[in-house]
Amino acid sequence: MRRQKFKLAFIANNSARKATYKKRKRGLIKKVNELSTLCGVDACAIIYSPYETHPVVWPPSAIGVQRVLSQFTRMPEMEQSKTKVNQETFLRHRIVKTKEQLKKQVKDNREEEMTEVMFQCLTGKDMMNLNMTDLNDITWLVDHCLREINKKCEKLKNSGRDAGTANVVGADPILEEIKPLILNVNPNFSTGFNPSVAADGMQSSTWLAGGFVNNNGASSSYNSNQLQGRPGIANDIMQGQPQ
Amino acid sequence: MDQIERKNKGRRKIKMAKMEKESNLLVTFSKRRSGLFKKASELCTLCGVQIAIIVFSPGKKVFSFGHPNVETIVDRYLTSPNFSSPQPNNNSNINMLEAHRSAKIQELNAEVTQVTTQLESEKKRGEALDKMRKMNQNKCWWENNVSELNLAQLQHLLVALEELKIDVAKEAVMGASTSNQIVPYMGTYNDTYPGSNIFNNL
Repeated sequence: MRRQKFKLAFIANNSARKATYKKRKRGLIKKVNELSTLCGVDACAIIYSPYETHPVVWPPSAIGVQRVLSQFTRMPEMEQSKTKVNQETFLRHRIVKTKEQLKKQVKDNREEEMTEVMFQCLTGKDMMNLNMTDLNDITWLVDHCLREINKKCEKLKNSGRDAGTANVVGADPILEEIKPLILNVNPNFSTGFNPSVAADGMQSSTWLAGGFVNNNGASSSYNSNQLQGRPGIANDIMQGQPQ
Repeated sequence: MDQIERKNKGRRKIKMAKMEKESNLLVTFSKRRSGLFKKASELCTLCGVQIAIIVFSPGKKVFSFGHPNVETIVDRYLTSPNFSSPQPNNNSNINMLEAHRSAKIQELNAEVTQVTTQLESEKKRGEALDKMRKMNQNKCWWENNVSELNLAQLQHLLVALEELKIDVAKEAVMGASTSNQIVPYMGTYNDTYPGSNIFNNL
């Protein structure tokens, strides 16, 4: 059955609610069973509903449930409470976790996006519409690339030395040429990337907002509708052709 | 051939027996326990039922979920295991408390839904960006990872990047002089950079 989008609220329609209860109750019991079996752990579930005269339980026997319950009640209060949740505490925790994931995803997306912008600029695209934050981010990325290249050059140089063969002819002279070009980049990028989410629209990238003009003069913009003022350039670059 | 097929299979059927690899078992426990509580919470909200779930971890720690709370459900069950006796509910104070609690839950449910939707949307965006990146890497050699490039390409790229760095700096100076932004345009990032605090409001 296809994944269905549902509203997370009490189902007002009686028959719909009863039908949902039946399905989800069955699913929940199945999940408890699977968890217990796959991980070899003790578990129990008790469900009270207006649809049944007795509680629905797992394990299916009274003895099974009692066993787990006595194991539980035997534990010191402290141990129990550490990881005991009700709906409210559970939901709060979920919100925190999801927000963290969101933050990370936005940051990663921004990095991907700006890397593309950097490469576009590298091949001559106009930088006029980039704001300070964008320029800062691009500078960071450029420095990051330079560091990576330096590392690789070092490796190649060393392996060339170790191999001591003529296969790496010209490696050393070229590297000596490159060295003076390598500026002194500061390796202390402690927090790395900083996203510039437009909380109040002030810091949003005007370059991104305006879309960018590709070779044919057409422009386009892509809107991520969930976060305000955060248009992306994914579609733009797909249409533009780097030279 | 077999290895390629096995690479990105996603959902696969698993054997319904205790897992063999302990590291997998622990991860599975963590994920499934979390998912189980999520389903229980949804069932409570959607159908207005009362649930308690108790799970022991492989490390003998206990995790429990209960609505309205674990203790009342457990007590209720232990006193009469076979009957779903309706709770005495005529005290208006209890009703008010229940109403307040469920309003709070409603609020939290709405927030969870909202943040989850945002996350899904950003994930989709991330996938689109990745796809585009791969496409571009096929077309432009300089977009590939440094590890894939040979010495000549690296040298070329090095020079180009140094030039770009200078151009960006020039652009920043021009921008700074024509606007009233006081943001510094060069140098290292640290935690006090204005942009980094934006997520505190999320």
